[in-house]
Amino acid sequence: MIHNYLILSIILFCLGIVGVISRRNVFTVFMSIELMLNAANLAFVAFSRIHESMDGHVLAMMVMAVAAAEAALALAVVILLHKHKSKLDTNVFSLLKG
Amino acid sequence: MFADGLFFGFAVLAVLGAAGLIIFRHPMNGAMSFVVTLISLAGLYALLSAKLIFALQLIVYAGAIMSLIVFIIMFLNIQPDDLPKEETKLAYILGSIIVVLPIGWFFTKIVKTLPMSSTEIIGNNFGGVQQVGLLLFKDWLVPFEIVSILLLVSLIGAVILAGKRRVNK
Repeated sequence: MIHNYLILSIILFCLGIVGVISRRNVFTVFMSIELMLNAANLAFVAFSRIHESMDGHVLAMMVMAVAAAEAALALAVVILLHKHKSKLDTNVFSLLKG
Repeated sequence: MFADGLFFGFAVLAVLGAAGLIIFRHPMNGAMSFVVTLISLAGLYALLSAKLIFALQLIVYAGAIMSLIVFIIMFLNIQPDDLPKEETKLAYILGSIIVVLPIGWFFTKIVKTLPMSSTEIIGNNFGGVQQVGLLLFKDWLVPFEIVSILLLVSLIGAVILAGKRRVNK
């Protein structure tokens, strides 16, 4: 039944939001964002199975490309911040607070 | 039904992996349990007869992106006192679950109104490389080119951000 796939996608997305809200480790926050992207991918593929058209597959591929770009940039930023502060706490990275 | 059992197994594994990602303290443990989530999502794509996405999920996501993340985690050589002290982690997790629960309930209500649809494997090359590739280069050509520009920009950005040598300092 297709509804179970969509409900699983909702559960994974909510878990990703919980990870972003509640954790302070940079890597965990980053991987929670990846988890939300994956939940969206699952919803895309499930909807394209409902309509039996493959546009959802193409969109899922685009989301994967965006996730790869995001991983490269975010990890570069994490390396820079770790070089400056040698910490992984998101509360330390408040350089733009003014 | 065999496919229902497979779906149940993969779904439980995916949710457990995601929960492990949220709960574990060290990011390496979190990354390992996130890999479990990604691989079981690949199995779910195969059950939805998305063959190309199944392969791409395994190769690109569980292979390339996660190995990049794990490589960076090992590269930074994280000691336990580098990690943030999260004494109130459980309270925050519970609070955010309470915040998120109505949203999930709302979307579940929306999903329940959708018409029923079977999830049997479609033959006829649905989701294969040829079909998806034809669609990608016919109807989605402009977004495809925009994604290529995005990848180029992120490549340059990553080199500029992380590749500084600071010889003068």
